[in-house]
Amino acid sequence: MQPPEAITPRTPARVPVLKQSYRRERGVLALFLAPSVIFLLLTSVYPLLNALRLSFYSWNMMIPFSKPTWYGVGNYTRLLNDPEFWNAVKVTLIFVVAAVTIELLLGMVLALLATSGVHAMGPIRTILLFPLMMTPVVAGVLWRNLYHSQYGVINHLLSLVGIPPQTWLGNPNQALPAVIMVEIWQQLPVAAFVLAAGLASLPVDMYKAAAVDGASRWQTFRMITLPLLKPVILVVLLLRIMDAFKVFDIVFMLTYGGPGQRTQVLSLLIYKTGLKFLQVGQASAMSWLFLGFIFIMSFFFIRELQRGES
Amino acid sequence: MTTNYRLQKQISTVLLYVVIFIVLVIIAFPVYWLISTSLKPGLESSTYPPTYIPSRLVFDNYVAVLKSENVKFLKNSLIVAVASTFLTTIMGAMAAYALSKTYIAFWIRRALMLWILVTRIFPPITTAIPYYVIIKNLGLADTYAALIITYVSYGLPFVIWLMLGFFQDLPADIEKAAIVDGCSMWQRFRQVVLPLTLPGLAVTAIFAFIFAWNEFLYASILTSFTAKTLPVVISTFISDQYLRWGEMSAMGSMMIIPVMIFALAAQKYLVRGLTFGAVKG
Repeated sequence: MQPPEAITPRTPARVPVLKQSYRRERGVLALFLAPSVIFLLLTSVYPLLNALRLSFYSWNMMIPFSKPTWYGVGNYTRLLNDPEFWNAVKVTLIFVVAAVTIELLLGMVLALLATSGVHAMGPIRTILLFPLMMTPVVAGVLWRNLYHSQYGVINHLLSLVGIPPQTWLGNPNQALPAVIMVEIWQQLPVAAFVLAAGLASLPVDMYKAAAVDGASRWQTFRMITLPLLKPVILVVLLLRIMDAFKVFDIVFMLTYGGPGQRTQVLSLLIYKTGLKFLQVGQASAMSWLFLGFIFIMSFFFIRELQRGES
Repeated sequence: MTTNYRLQKQISTVLLYVVIFIVLVIIAFPVYWLISTSLKPGLESSTYPPTYIPSRLVFDNYVAVLKSENVKFLKNSLIVAVASTFLTTIMGAMAAYALSKTYIAFWIRRALMLWILVTRIFPPITTAIPYYVIIKNLGLADTYAALIITYVSYGLPFVIWLMLGFFQDLPADIEKAAIVDGCSMWQRFRQVVLPLTLPGLAVTAIFAFIFAWNEFLYASILTSFTAKTLPVVISTFISDQYLRWGEMSAMGSMMIIPVMIFALAAQKYLVRGLTFGAVKG
């Protein structure tokens, strides 16, 4: 493994003889780039700017033939005073922080176990691949079945040790942890795989030196493994945080935001506001607040990653 | 003292295996449950207490799923996933090839890479509403084109970043030799670079396919019937046919089969794919 490359492309030495040919080919290169750049401009930049424009308008698409009317920052000020919005922010943050923290810790344990001389990496990998590759919608349906309060397997297993049946997804206090559990189950392999790859690539001689010096396992882990693994840990964190913020499918399938609004993450609130109640302006404003937050956060992460590189 | 140490080591090895085994059982059980439920006869899938081992194995659920109009939706899923994978991989590989050339000004490459990375970062829901409006205005609602455009857009950044890594891994001399032989850029790309990075290309395509195959949000917004894909069908099972766990599990199992085959084939580059090319496992 090589350290994460983040944003900096490599720059090998130039060969003067070939320079002329290179100059001639710049135009061809532009043609190679053009399809992707034009496509992305039309399909991701334009929609985002369109959403930004709509966020300053009031537009209820429920009313047939209605047109957007200018509303200034009205959507934004309304959102900032909207408890439903703040609830969604809170639920999303709890979801992301809890899921990613547990994934990182458990993933680290699994990765350490897997790289400490176990001779069954093949089967372990295969088993971990199943949740990871499972269609999130299918995972949602499956866990709905497992959590089912009357004939769910989880309640049955608990009854064997004398614990009374729980309502899980229908219980205001259990619903969010239950949803987070499904996310962890699906995404834990990401952390485990990537950290295991990182661990496998660490230099062996450092560990030999530590052993000679009589370092304990914990000391070795704290003083050698963690610092060396930091770039990989950052990559895992960045990826998992970004992806956890995107959560939609499993919440949609498991609870649809309920009970009450206990599991209503931002994505789901935007979906309901914009695509069920067709309050387009309001939903667009929410999208842009969400985006702004994500961009600022990823900016700091990427900067940290690049700093580690140089 | 040495025997003591060896004994201790043996015990800790056994413990290690036991812990790993328990964790794996917990992770694997839901998958086992999905597949075993799909093979249970009749109403056994919703009995209590649940049967952990099916009383007998039958394929009734699969037959039922495949006899209905679901075949059409399966076809939709395949068409959309294959078409978008094809387009994403071709366009993305070309762009990545151009970006791997160091004689493009550094700041242009850097700016493009950052921009492409950013398009991967934003949550899909934030463009869902403009997509919905635009696709509707273009008259593309409920067509394959709507979904293919969306999936290409979401797959491109991923393909570009991943392929860039594979292209950069190629020794530069190979291409220089081809330049000296008078190959045009397109010839070099087609006949030298692509064949050499074929495994990378295949793996990238596999990831693009899995993304399109599993996608639910846009499929549910942009299609209603004609172009509906399998995840949308499965999502409607919940409200309409709450008790048909058997058929639902059969459909869910069918959805993971192709993905698992592909994922196993791409195992070697899994970490690279998962990390957007940042960690080369």
